[in-house]
Amino acid sequence: MAASKHEKRVHTAYLREMAGAFLVYAVLLMASIRFGRPMDESLLRILVLLSPMIGFCLALWAIARHLGRVDEYLRRFLLESFALAAGLTAGLTFSYGFLETAGYPRLSMFSVWMVLCGATMLVCLVRSVHEKLQTR
Amino acid sequence: MKNRIRELRATQGWSQADLAERLDVSRQSVNAIETGRYDPSLPLAFAISRLFGLPVEAIFTPDQETA
Repeated sequence: MAASKHEKRVHTAYLREMAGAFLVYAVLLMASIRFGRPMDESLLRILVLLSPMIGFCLALWAIARHLGRVDEYLRRFLLESFALAAGLTAGLTFSYGFLETAGYPRLSMFSVWMVLCGATMLVCLVRSVHEKLQTR
Repeated sequence: MKNRIRELRATQGWSQADLAERLDVSRQSVNAIETGRYDPSLPLAFAISRLFGLPVEAIFTPDQETA
């Protein structure tokens, strides 16, 4: 099904901003690994190792701007999906906290972000398929 | 909320994408409104009303009339 001009405009702007954010993230990540890891313990080292978060914040800003550009129905759909994904992530990570007490291996906090991304994609996919089945 | 958008769109010979184009929204929004899964905001309802040249109440009707 052909996308409307509105969808194309919104999608292009989102991809452009998200690509820029990822580029900043990737450059800062490589720089932080290359220069931050060998540095002596100091406040500067912490700041260098944290620097990829600038790219991450730009990605969050791109998502926020995307939510401002999409139409009202898609905005509601996305915000509901984010809320469900956040709840799912909270449930999964909280459960794993109990499992760690039961002897499961300790995981890095980075895994929470990956679970959140996976949960968001899963929720959006399930809801999209559900809506398509409903409209048949 | 019930609406006559599918019927009005058909009389104009427009596809959902055509209507989405005219309203500057996504095709998914038109589909969700037509199938009753989403009730549009007042500004969008008025935009639909202007586009078809009909009052809002001639396009949208509540499921049950309230007192």
